[in-house]
Amino acid sequence: QTTVAGTITDQESGEPLIGASILAVGTSTGTITDFDGVYSLEVPEGVTQLQFSYTGYPTVIENINGRTTIDLAIQPGQLLDEVVVVGYGAVKKSDLTGSVNTIDNESFNQGAIVSPTNLIAGKVAGVNISSGSGNPGEGPTVRIRGGTSINASNDPLYVIDGVPLANDGVAGGRSPLNFLNPDDIASMTVLKDASAAAIYGSRGANGVILITTKKGSSGAPSISYRAEGTVSSVINRQQNLDAEAFRNVVTFAAPERLGILGNTSTNWFDELTQTGYGTQQNLSISGGGETNTYRVSAGYQQLEGVLRGAETERISLNLNFTQKLFSDKLIVGASIKGANENNVFDPGVINAALDFDPTQPIYDADNTAYAGFFEYGNSLAPRNPVSATEQISNTGKTYRGIGNLDLEYKFDDLIPGLSYKAVLGFDVNSGESNRFVPTTFATLATNGFVGEFNINNALRTSKLFDTYLTYAKEFGNQTASLQVGYSYQDFNFEGPSIQGQNLTTDAFGTANPGVAEDIFAYNSVVENRLISFFGRLNYNIDERYLFTASLRRDGSSRFGPSNRWGLFPSAALAWRILQEDFAAGLNNTFSELKLRVGYGVTGNQDFGDYLYLPVYQYSDQRTQYQFGDRFVSTIRPNAYDESLKWEETSSINVGLDFGFFNNRLSGIVEYYQKTTDDLIFTVNVPAGTNLSDRVTTNIGALENQGVELTLNGVIVDQAKFGLDVTGNVSFQQTEITRLSGSGSADIQTGGIAGGVGNTVQLLRVGATPYSFYLYQQKYGADGRPLRDGVDYNEDGVANNLDIYEDLNGDGVLNDQDLTINEAPMPDVLLGFTANARYGKLNLGFTLRGNLGNYVYNNAASNGGNLSRIDLGANYVSNVHASAVYTRFDRPQYFSDYYLESGSFLRLDNLTASYDFGQLANNALNLRVYATAQNLFILTNYSGNDPEGNGIDNSPFPRARIYTLGARIGL
Amino acid sequence: CTDLELLPQDKADPNAVLSEEENYESFLARIYAGLSVTGQQGPAGASDIASLDEGFSNYLRQYWQLQELPTESSVIAWGDAGLPELIYQSWTSDNQFIRAIYYRIFFQVSIANEFLRETTPERLDSRGIREGFRPTVEGFRAEARFLRALSYWHGIDMFGDVIFYTEEDGIGGSPPAQRSRAEVFAFIESELSAIENQLPAIGAAEYGRADRGALYMLQAKLYQNAEVYTGQERNGEAVAALEKIIDSGAYSLEEEYADLFKADNHTSNELIWTITFDGDNTQGFGGLTYLTHAPVGGSMNPEDYGINGGWFGLRTTKALVNKFPDVTGEADERAIFYTDGQSLEIDNISEFTQGYAVPKYTNVTSDGVVGSDPRFADTDFPMFRLGDAYLMYAESVLRGGGGSRDRALELVNALRERAYNGTAGNITDADLTLDFILDERARELYWEAHRRTDLIRFDSFSTNGVWPWKGGIPEGRTTSAIYNLYPIPSSEILSNPNLRQTEGY
Repeated sequence: QTTVAGTITDQESGEPLIGASILAVGTSTGTITDFDGVYSLEVPEGVTQLQFSYTGYPTVIENINGRTTIDLAIQPGQLLDEVVVVGYGAVKKSDLTGSVNTIDNESFNQGAIVSPTNLIAGKVAGVNISSGSGNPGEGPTVRIRGGTSINASNDPLYVIDGVPLANDGVAGGRSPLNFLNPDDIASMTVLKDASAAAIYGSRGANGVILITTKKGSSGAPSISYRAEGTVSSVINRQQNLDAEAFRNVVTFAAPERLGILGNTSTNWFDELTQTGYGTQQNLSISGGGETNTYRVSAGYQQLEGVLRGAETERISLNLNFTQKLFSDKLIVGASIKGANENNVFDPGVINAALDFDPTQPIYDADNTAYAGFFEYGNSLAPRNPVSATEQISNTGKTYRGIGNLDLEYKFDDLIPGLSYKAVLGFDVNSGESNRFVPTTFATLATNGFVGEFNINNALRTSKLFDTYLTYAKEFGNQTASLQVGYSYQDFNFEGPSIQGQNLTTDAFGTANPGVAEDIFAYNSVVENRLISFFGRLNYNIDERYLFTASLRRDGSSRFGPSNRWGLFPSAALAWRILQEDFAAGLNNTFSELKLRVGYGVTGNQDFGDYLYLPVYQYSDQRTQYQFGDRFVSTIRPNAYDESLKWEETSSINVGLDFGFFNNRLSGIVEYYQKTTDDLIFTVNVPAGTNLSDRVTTNIGALENQGVELTLNGVIVDQAKFGLDVTGNVSFQQTEITRLSGSGSADIQTGGIAGGVGNTVQLLRVGATPYSFYLYQQKYGADGRPLRDGVDYNEDGVANNLDIYEDLNGDGVLNDQDLTINEAPMPDVLLGFTANARYGKLNLGFTLRGNLGNYVYNNAASNGGNLSRIDLGANYVSNVHASAVYTRFDRPQYFSDYYLESGSFLRLDNLTASYDFGQLANNALNLRVYATAQNLFILTNYSGNDPEGNGIDNSPFPRARIYTLGARIGL
Repeated sequence: CTDLELLPQDKADPNAVLSEEENYESFLARIYAGLSVTGQQGPAGASDIASLDEGFSNYLRQYWQLQELPTESSVIAWGDAGLPELIYQSWTSDNQFIRAIYYRIFFQVSIANEFLRETTPERLDSRGIREGFRPTVEGFRAEARFLRALSYWHGIDMFGDVIFYTEEDGIGGSPPAQRSRAEVFAFIESELSAIENQLPAIGAAEYGRADRGALYMLQAKLYQNAEVYTGQERNGEAVAALEKIIDSGAYSLEEEYADLFKADNHTSNELIWTITFDGDNTQGFGGLTYLTHAPVGGSMNPEDYGINGGWFGLRTTKALVNKFPDVTGEADERAIFYTDGQSLEIDNISEFTQGYAVPKYTNVTSDGVVGSDPRFADTDFPMFRLGDAYLMYAESVLRGGGGSRDRALELVNALRERAYNGTAGNITDADLTLDFILDERARELYWEAHRRTDLIRFDSFSTNGVWPWKGGIPEGRTTSAIYNLYPIPSSEILSNPNLRQTEGY
């Protein structure tokens, strides 16, 4: 054991850097500099490098080479070697061979962020993170390079401190990742290409996001406290008519229905929305002694939604502890992360708010059966949404805990360079949701029963055991390291639920099921298991040629014996051109020039369990059959495919990393091509070949390619003033190359709101998945779509031939005339971040955009017709404003008039902060900041929001969120 | 550890299920239930078939729609894709309702085959089923074969040449080949004779299950339509089968016509075989839930029909209404029409108030008591009933199948006496013609899912016969003969290379 000491200063000013951290690479041993920038660290045996890091400065790694004094002058903003986690280990950034992007907490998005992945929205080329909805705490959709699957999940694999998670949530929660307090995250690393992700084998096809939480560092306790308050306001882009406009439309289109209208004016949308307030507080304490470090943190977050009643609350605790034993040969790390999330969900009233007649009042005091709310006594009519919000309670709570114990032992005494690591982990996610509808709510009364509750419980547990040996050796100018390991992970789910109907009293809510006349009970229990063997070789010749190869053999319980095991190889090569003698002349211009080529195979097995096995399913008590006087429970054999196997994606990645002018300008350009084979589809199978009309099976292939460009520029870099920008753009293209065993069967998909069984999308060979499949609308001279009910072609009948193009010219308008259109997937993804500092003031923003994505405006197609005021019943429904323009009488669900470009540019985030630095005789430091999220969106899309799955029918209002916060360090 | 053998826990392994005797009855009950419910959770959930909305795709609901909507007896207001085309006789191979009944029919065949595969003596041996239980299993096998024959009959009636496969063809094999209508007809015929003596005697089965009464009705249906199916008339055999039913004395006409369609119709002695529904135990959005809700709307009060609310869908055309002497039911009580606020003429099929409503099926008992759950009817569907047997007998006699013309007249008049509450509506021998039978079948059996088959047998479905909205125009027009068969769904043509599309589609 040796002691290394030294002083760390700013290269330009010569000022000491106070509180810079020094870490012995490969261990958790570290310290920080004192007020004079001086440090002293006892370096454990076997450690050859020290890592120096300080906020605002690049991380520097120095080889010790027997020195006991290492002084360092660091230039701010200079990018040198960083260490990047890559799954089962870490490598120097300069040694990376795959497509790996790391975003650390300095670059995270700011503001009211509940779900961790929002931290890196817009930050990584090829990674599309789109906010789910305006619900507080709703998880975003994350797609890395467009996704590789159609039926199985396209979500990436998340690995938190070495523990791979199951992506499924539990009842009562919003997003399964929400348990993690964004404030506890040190960095997020995205493994984009298969050569990097293949080490995760059958789970790596959609990329991997490695999340590393903050750890403590040796030294006196340092305390950090952050508090912020948020205000959310609703962005109203709804297009249903107000009372006056609605009355005018009824007067024009169906005057005989005027008598049904009310005589007030209610803006249902305004009645249901609110300004939401929220608060977040985080406290963390970290420090360490000679042989150990710790970090504990607690967080509390509470956020109201912009829809009345919607709310989320989270309490989180995080503990990281590292202890070194046996002269630092054994390192024990323990980590526990736990959170309790409480949610209040809105009862799903937005559609009712858009449908409900705006001339009707909220209350009708005489209507005591429905608690004094105005309601139509008709089972098909929309329900008073204010009544729903005030009467229905819909809450959920989840508890999640993830713990892991890491043991690392260095056999340096025995065999230098050999170490062993084991990770034992658990993940417990338990949730409960409670929904209670009182007897006075009209839907139930008009549907023949009164009062209802649902109680859903869910317990999801997983156990992990990972173990691997690493052996590293240097010979001459070459270094090699070899890793072999074994992994076992088991996932269990159990979800009992109770439903009660016909309540004798509202007094107990969901607390006393005994008051329900009818009780129904359900349960679901599933288990699956993954067992893997893996190995990886890194080979480095003279820091010039870098080679990585990995091999993983995965076994999954989701498949039958003959398909259970799969092999996932990868290989990648990187060439650091500047290290070549012939490139010596380029060194003045280039600071980095690295060419990478990688190939790998990954898998996807994220879909249902036991689909390969014949199983019999029992009926519940409501699907029995009468034999004589008895009702007999039934059992049904389920469809299955015993030869089911995982999807396999093989991909090629070519990348060039470059840096100019001392990395003032740096970037990455990459091309990738992915071919996914054995796509898992739930497809139509020929009748008679199985026990249902659709079976989940492997059919088809998908090809996916793209180009990604990331540029980082330090535009201005002076002591007083700095400006740096990061931009990324990616072009992507996905095409189905094969479907079904027997040729080119199209698969219709994309169910919409309106009618039953109507679909507007298609899976077809040669087309982008989920391309829209619609009739071509004809337009009149005035530019308006031709309206239905008029015999334009004068053939004696007013039908679809009058208003849609008869593309095959056979004189009949039918499914043969539907045409394939654009798709929801964007062609281009854009992200742009800028940060400016002036003295202690910082200003930054993140812009994010999609181009070439198309949206089917289902709100307009379903609501934009006049038949809604002429239903033949004793109620009317409000209409979408487009009906005033189109004058459609009946819904025209299949008109391409409703297909719109969804291209957009959104200002996701704007942040200003002021760093007061050290205050009160250096007793504390203070930073205050203000953030605005979702400030504006530029788009031609006429509907609620162009982001989503391409079918816009859940118009939950998005929020604009303002945050004011302060961070105090002690 | 490399153990990856995990067995499901909330569903069961076939070996575990079928080593318990009581599960054989449950398995058999599922084949019956395939006509009634849509999945393993009520009212919807764990659906049997997936390519269409679960409740919509219910076997009986689609069988009913495809038998009634293209005829004079009904129109429906809803604009769901493909639904108006059923009324207009202008459907295509992409029609989602045709797809639904196709997959429901072959779902029935598939699970019946699975039952037969899993109940062979070898399988029973391997699962340790005792000898004493084996005769019971033999009886179950006969019922499974009856239900498979029934669905194959629906298959050839609607689609003509269909795929053919039996318990010999396992799961996951190559797609089945298509057989001609006549070949499948012959298979159904031979199956029915093979199981005749294994089914309980006429009227001897417990309620809801098939006995020889149901079997003879199915035989009679086959033979009566044999000329359509095979080109060869078999009226003599139809008469023979019907005589067994009528002569058995096991059934008698219900006193009040309307009581045949009420919540307590399981007590009726006229019903030979029904598809059962129950508000508490057999729930779904098809079947009788559909038939009691969809025809209610306008100024009708849902409570009068024992339901929670009307669906503003089904009505009838004047072509049916005008077959009755008056619309009030005063003369012929079979005229169950609701006319208040409804017009006889239909200018716009999507307007519920155009066309008379038909509350023939209700969820109220003959004593006026509402069924057990106003959302889901208790009423059972009369698949085969004695009244139908009477008219079939008369028709087969008129078509030269032998039997007795006097008896035919007597049976027809028995139905008319019930309808008229006396002899006022009785007909004479001279009135007893085939044209009369076709109209009488409309009056007696409308909305009971026979009409399309009847019209095709009388060659009055497509190229002949005009009623409102046939052909897509208010006054109606004739259509092409291709509509006498439904097309094989396009999804099926694409996925099974052995299939040839029906002529004309």
